[in-house]
Amino acid sequence: LKVKETYCTITDLLPNTQYEFWVSALNASGISPPSERAVYVTAPSPPTIKNKKIQSCENAVLVCWESRDINPVDSYTVELSKLTDEENDDIITESIVGIPNCEVLIHLQPTQKYRICVRAQNLGGSSERSEPVLIHTTGTCFYLNEDTAHPLLAILDDGFTISCDELENPECDLPIYDNSFTRCIAILGSLIPFPGKHYWEVEVEEDTEYRTGVAFENTPRHGHLGANNSSWCMRHIITPSRHKYEFLHSGMTPDIRITIPPRRIGILLDYENCKLSFFNADIAQHLHTFNTHFQHYVHPCFALETPGILRIHTGITTPPWTALP
Amino acid sequence: MALKQVSSNKCFEGFQKVFEHDSAELKCKMKFGIYLPPKAETGKCPVLYWLSGLTCTEQNFITKAAFQQAAAEHGLIVVAPDTSPRGCNIEGEDESWDFGTGAGFYVDATEDPWKTNYRMYSYVKDELPKLINANFPTDPERMSIFGHSMGGHGALILALKNPGKYKSVSAFAPICNPIQCQWGKKALGGYLGSDASKWEAYDATQLVKSYSGPRLDILIDQGKDDQFLSAGQLLPDNFIAACTEQKIPVVFRLQQGYDHSYFFIASFINDHIKHHAKYLNA
Repeated sequence: LKVKETYCTITDLLPNTQYEFWVSALNASGISPPSERAVYVTAPSPPTIKNKKIQSCENAVLVCWESRDINPVDSYTVELSKLTDEENDDIITESIVGIPNCEVLIHLQPTQKYRICVRAQNLGGSSERSEPVLIHTTGTCFYLNEDTAHPLLAILDDGFTISCDELENPECDLPIYDNSFTRCIAILGSLIPFPGKHYWEVEVEEDTEYRTGVAFENTPRHGHLGANNSSWCMRHIITPSRHKYEFLHSGMTPDIRITIPPRRIGILLDYENCKLSFFNADIAQHLHTFNTHFQHYVHPCFALETPGILRIHTGITTPPWTALP
Repeated sequence: MALKQVSSNKCFEGFQKVFEHDSAELKCKMKFGIYLPPKAETGKCPVLYWLSGLTCTEQNFITKAAFQQAAAEHGLIVVAPDTSPRGCNIEGEDESWDFGTGAGFYVDATEDPWKTNYRMYSYVKDELPKLINANFPTDPERMSIFGHSMGGHGALILALKNPGKYKSVSAFAPICNPIQCQWGKKALGGYLGSDASKWEAYDATQLVKSYSGPRLDILIDQGKDDQFLSAGQLLPDNFIAACTEQKIPVVFRLQQGYDHSYFFIASFINDHIKHHAKYLNA
């Protein structure tokens, strides 16, 4: 760049990149030797928070993001604003600095709204704020793990409805990922990595056969939910005479009859008290409780055995009537 | 309504007591067991009524069911009356173990010589709660009922015939359809006469068909190895079918290896107490 002043502004640099600058002077006799080099690093680009992959509960949130730069940055800073009804909601109430990876677990208060942004940091300074994400700590939220889905299981656009159209060839030639279910037409939700109680609901149709419950990450993908010791589920089958319900773990179920087929199943996962309970949420009726000390955190799991749909509802405050199963 | 305390034993920081009184309904002296949880010392508590089965007195439940710990924990008063009037000197009352003494079937008899004394339905429905509410720290608006076998039948019919009176109902191995089983035909025939249409008013499976009232949430536990189940005396399938048809919420659990005894009751009593506590303490 040729300039006449003793300063120069250089634009259009790439973010998160190291540049070296030197100056030479030029007169009629020629060009001077170059000055010493000045090294600057440009600040990074703001990261992108993975909106669809937020996991949260009443007391915490697990936020992940990705860097927009090719080269690694030094660290990340997460900024939190607790939103109140007042106008002044741009005040940052909490800052977490020095985060080495692209995720962070933050402790929050129940039934509050937060705005969360991430900045990347390097020697050159801090990036602009990322696009914020809004969290409302009403209840436990998880998303569906598409790469665990059986090929015949489709996730609809809202991200929380799964459907299966036909059952032909459950072990057919459709593409199978390493992590997907191969026999059971199933899918896992994201891990619920927070201690305490978690509640969600599954809306079902009377003529759909399904399984729903929880499973460990390592539950066999060629197995059926409830048939092994790494999964627990409620199963609905329709026989010629009636609706049949099973509560499966290690392939075993108690013998239980339920007179009103639930349309909305409430599931309470209580890590602390070692229980997994199922309810007919429409009538607050307790159906069954597994008493198990979960050795690891679990994933919600869902499977369809006949064509139909399941709609999953998250972010629900744990209802009081689940308190005494 | 004078009450005479027969016994008192401290239990889980509350008291298991037995009282005796003169019953106007039954026209004889009647005993009942009452468990008062620790909370009853300082405040009013909801009341859970337990109805025992054939041959029982007020003693069986309070000594064998092991319910006191859960009742203490959840702050519930538990009342367990006797299963029939006693010492009335009615001819034939001691002849069978499934009719007469110890086998009141929770009906109001209309036939002689039973109709004067055998009015267990009215006793449990009206006289006993009135007595309990007048003498103990109860919350009269919060009452629930449960029982075993003949008492399970009693709990179900009392709840179905009195919509809204009980906040919750549950049963262990109940006689669900007495008009169809030997026990029921003998008892209802003896107390109510041979016109079987009069028996329907005391049959849970029949009553469900015309139930209209606040939504119920019925929990039933049944031992799979129960000899009376296989003998066709209990008939839960009929009750379940009727409830399915009428959309009455029931969770019926068939418990592998369990029989008809108090060992079975003791094994699942905590689940039932919690079921009632959910509605009584809401």
